Amino acid sequence: MRRSNKMLPWLYSLPALMLVGMIIVFPILYTGYISLTNMNLFHWFDFEIIGLSNYARALLKLDAGFLSALLTTILWTVVNIVLQVLLAYFIALALNAQGLKLSRLYKTLLMFPWAMPAYVSILLWRVGMYNTEFGLLNKLLAAMGLEKVNFLSENVPAFISCLALNLWMALPFMIMMIDGALQSIDKSYYESAQLDGAGFLAKNIYITVPALRGIIAPAVIMTTFTTFKQFDIVYLLTMQKGALSGATLQTIITYAHQNAFVSNNYGLSSAVSIIIFMLIICFSMGTNKGLKEED
Amino acid sequence: MKRTNRRKIKTKLKLAVLNLLLITLCFLGLVPILYALSLSLSGSGGALSAGLTLWPEKVTIENYIKIITEEPFFIWLSNSVILSAATMVVAIGFAVVASYAFSRFRFKGRKGILKLLLVLNAFPQILSMFAIFRLFKTMEMLDSKIGLVIVYAGSMCIFSIWNMKGYFDTIPVEIEEASKIDGAGDFQLLWKIVLPLARPAVIVTAVMVLIFVWNEYLFATTFLLNEKSYTLAGGLYQLQSNDYSRSWPLFSAASIMVSVPILAVFFCIQKYMVSGLTAGGVKG
Repeated sequence: MRRSNKMLPWLYSLPALMLVGMIIVFPILYTGYISLTNMNLFHWFDFEIIGLSNYARALLKLDAGFLSALLTTILWTVVNIVLQVLLAYFIALALNAQGLKLSRLYKTLLMFPWAMPAYVSILLWRVGMYNTEFGLLNKLLAAMGLEKVNFLSENVPAFISCLALNLWMALPFMIMMIDGALQSIDKSYYESAQLDGAGFLAKNIYITVPALRGIIAPAVIMTTFTTFKQFDIVYLLTMQKGALSGATLQTIITYAHQNAFVSNNYGLSSAVSIIIFMLIICFSMGTNKGLKEED
Repeated sequence: MKRTNRRKIKTKLKLAVLNLLLITLCFLGLVPILYALSLSLSGSGGALSAGLTLWPEKVTIENYIKIITEEPFFIWLSNSVILSAATMVVAIGFAVVASYAFSRFRFKGRKGILKLLLVLNAFPQILSMFAIFRLFKTMEMLDSKIGLVIVYAGSMCIFSIWNMKGYFDTIPVEIEEASKIDGAGDFQLLWKIVLPLARPAVIVTAVMVLIFVWNEYLFATTFLLNEKSYTLAGGLYQLQSNDYSRSWPLFSAASIMVSVPILAVFFCIQKYMVSGLTAGGVKG
């Protein structure tokens, strides 16, 4: 019914657009404005416009910490996505093995980490797994006669701990996507490959992987965005208010948050926020183009 | 004969290994949750015992009783229910009509707005939290439920529009055309014909908004300033950040209680979630 009533669609979408304008658009613009000022705790009301120097501080000064946070975030995203896709691929293959009777049960059990509220999972891992007194991992180490490890007190172990937790939380979604994609592949390909004498490796390289690529691309890209934007894990594991664990790990989002709510550098924090937004926009335009070309 | 036998044995062996691997994997995935469950049932001293078992020595619901009687659990619960219900009504109410408009009408700026919404949705809300905080502070809307509902509804609005628009696109327009000929007005059309048809999408989207609010702790703890107005997420967060070493079994009990309803809801709508997530996520 491609109707062309002029007023009605605007009438219908106006409330939603106003809400978005108020809660999403205006705060972004306001953040952009703050990024041009020297607003901080001492200049809460009498701040003044200082131009682009917050941006210069974030991008040009190494000791401001933004560039190293950006590097950490990129490393974090790449390692996470590579491990997630690889692990999920093999787990999904195993779940789809012929003759496996309990695969439905396994799938349901594997979904639990995804279903749990994220902040609950993270806090449970913080104490239940990583803590030096109550953590299961340390209890395990102690039972084997090894020394206790403080997983979150230094950057490298903390990074690996966050990585393990993120894999635990994010793998179910990826497994489910790849599992769904696997089931859409025509079985007759495999039968003819079998006749041609193709082994496990050949079947995967020449049939499964090419068939999957287009189907799971949107899910992988979406996961890349959420991993890049991941805040809760690093924040809740290592840097909650009053419970710093010792590691100084920063992703760009935690960096922006710290600068706004802990060290009260509102101008710098806002500048960083705008830079992150620009990065995300560039990245999403790039992937949109890539996706369209693949179709 | 011999050859088929050997092959059978080989596949059986392979399946046994696979089963073993998958069982181990499932177990590893569930350990953190099982451990919390076991601690929550093992009384107040359970956390300090040196044992490695996942089964409490003496099962007691002491921690669950404590969390209900000693902490303002029911206040948090009612706050959570009020906030998520209000957010759901506002977000879905606004988004349903908007997504209908975007799906059914062709008007100037339609494509541009849809694209712009996606770009805006990519902006991490945490980054504008300070701007909203400052805004609310000057407007004296901190520590008010209405303020939070507006923030939550705004955050979920774009997702809801895209999610439901995708479903509206799949409903054939002939039905609407027919009722139009029968004399249905514009609003009647939406309320009586389209909404019932789109019910599955509306329900799934609404549940996802609900889960979002139920699980949100950061805005809740930043914007709500006193403990009485906390949501469950905020309360739990507070509980563990005060002194988790003392209240850790208590926290486990609370987190089990908070998670169970979410788990139940999740497994009810799981099969619809995937399509919605990816459709709203990246497609341009």
